[in-house]
Amino acid sequence: MSALDAGGMVQISDAAVSVELVGEDMMLNIGPQHPSTHGVLRLVAQVDGERITRLEPVIGYMHRGKEKLAEVRTYPQITTLINRIDWISGFANEVPFVVAVERLMGIEVPERAQYIRLILTELTRISNHLVFASSYPLELGAATPLMYAFRERERVLDLIESVTGGRFHPNFNRVGGVKPAAGGGSTQKNVVLDLPAGFFEATLRTMDKVLEVCDEIDNLVVGNELIQARTIGVGVLPPEIVLAYGVSGPNMRASGIDFDLRKHEHLLPYDDFDFDVVVRSNGDCFDRYVTRIEEIRQSVSIVRQAIGKIPSGPLRAKVPRVLKVPPGEIYVRAENPKGEMGYYVVSQGGRVPYRVKIRSASFSNISVLPWVSQGQLIPDLVATMGSFDFVLGDVDR
Amino acid sequence: MTPSPSETATEPSALAARLAGLVGASGFSAEHGTVKIQVERAGWVEAIRTARDEAGLAFFSWLSAVDWSRQVAVGDPPADPDTIEERYDVVCRLSSVASADGALFVASLPKDDPRIDSLVPVFDGAAWHEREAAEMFGIDFTGHPHLVKLYLPEGFEGHPLRKSFALLSREVKPWPGTVDVEAMPSAENREAGEGGEEA
Repeated sequence: MSALDAGGMVQISDAAVSVELVGEDMMLNIGPQHPSTHGVLRLVAQVDGERITRLEPVIGYMHRGKEKLAEVRTYPQITTLINRIDWISGFANEVPFVVAVERLMGIEVPERAQYIRLILTELTRISNHLVFASSYPLELGAATPLMYAFRERERVLDLIESVTGGRFHPNFNRVGGVKPAAGGGSTQKNVVLDLPAGFFEATLRTMDKVLEVCDEIDNLVVGNELIQARTIGVGVLPPEIVLAYGVSGPNMRASGIDFDLRKHEHLLPYDDFDFDVVVRSNGDCFDRYVTRIEEIRQSVSIVRQAIGKIPSGPLRAKVPRVLKVPPGEIYVRAENPKGEMGYYVVSQGGRVPYRVKIRSASFSNISVLPWVSQGQLIPDLVATMGSFDFVLGDVDR
Repeated sequence: MTPSPSETATEPSALAARLAGLVGASGFSAEHGTVKIQVERAGWVEAIRTARDEAGLAFFSWLSAVDWSRQVAVGDPPADPDTIEERYDVVCRLSSVASADGALFVASLPKDDPRIDSLVPVFDGAAWHEREAAEMFGIDFTGHPHLVKLYLPEGFEGHPLRKSFALLSREVKPWPGTVDVEAMPSAENREAGEGGEEA
């Protein structure tokens, strides 16, 4: 009222008073159907004005009980289940699981199959990061970048589809190797058609396009002052919190931890290639965004190198028709687009696993939300949440 | 806080032996490259804290459990049930962010008293994992600040990941169903047979 008395001028003293007006905290419900929650995540926030004093994510709306379902399925059937965990990067989900089974059975995967796995994993990473690169600005109110990145993401999905027959759920990995490409023939005796004709040329052309869109995103988003104002210094995750909550993947590297499972776990022949682990130091939303854009560039480089080096040979090792896995326990993890994806497989012998524990990246990545949102403004919460790049299927499993 | 990635991983069996000595383990193994350290329930929190502070395993990856049962309501029954010692194993995975080192820490709980101290004082991130293990296996994490259901709705009865918990869809529609019964694949086309099962 006094602001009006002063002829519409807001006095500094008035602003100070309004901040000190402490009322009762309000509970604000966000979701489960909310555009910024990437599916069905519900957040219950206790707010004091626009500031969050406490946040409680409510998850489980997408819980499909995959760990239980895996206990009544044979090993080859489980790959269909698990590529639906994180549906943005279906192919990458399959790899650590089949590698776990292969290691328990002592199967050596032919080199060509490993290369095909590697190329498709990196294409999946590119597609995942392009979805992030386009949808994150949308959450901040910038609709244009969506069109640019989705255009190229569709080209990448076309490549994956041309090999596997599926855009989202390839179900392309087999214990011992990979399937022949859509329409191909036997894999063990002689390879009739393992990759579609012209796949490498089409991939190289698409990679050029992907690099172009990365530059466009640099101009449209990374260099954009409004985006920078919304993201720099927002949602900062210090390294000790990253470790305590098990935050992994690009989120971890944006906080200055130089760790990439592609350099440490030898599921796929990453050692054959030159690539950099992208690390940034501030741990804010902006760094998490830029880390992923840089990772797209690194993945493009890996794909190009792999195409130049891919050996010829069989696609699948000799594997019994009915898989019986000897008793044992193993934990295999891989660097998925969203972070550490791992499977703890317990076999008692037989066709069905005794227990499969699925370690998904998004679950741990968003478990840090209550911590990071303390004292944030609600619009900053939207910015922070989006920057973690989670998918509810990967949270709930 | 920026460890170098060039640090090489420790050989699994050497790592297992070293960790076992450090945390006072009651057993250890390193089969298939998976380091597994068996810890007594009473020393659970201390062992995890020691692994974090003195072995450099500062990254909390996950926590879950395994229900070891002689009789199962789902899946194939164990081939040799008599060898199974009935218990719940609480499994916690910690790893390093300087090398590929990592280990599973396991504590066994008796079936009639599934209780263990919470790891939340050591790793904040354990809170959600323990809530999941609590509702799925019925394990009580003593000292957990907020041990309510994570995925399941309030009032849900039973613990779905226990081996005694039947999977309703399998009860209603036994497996293999009629669509799964296919002719044996020919020797020429081996791949076609891998999804299908023994007829």
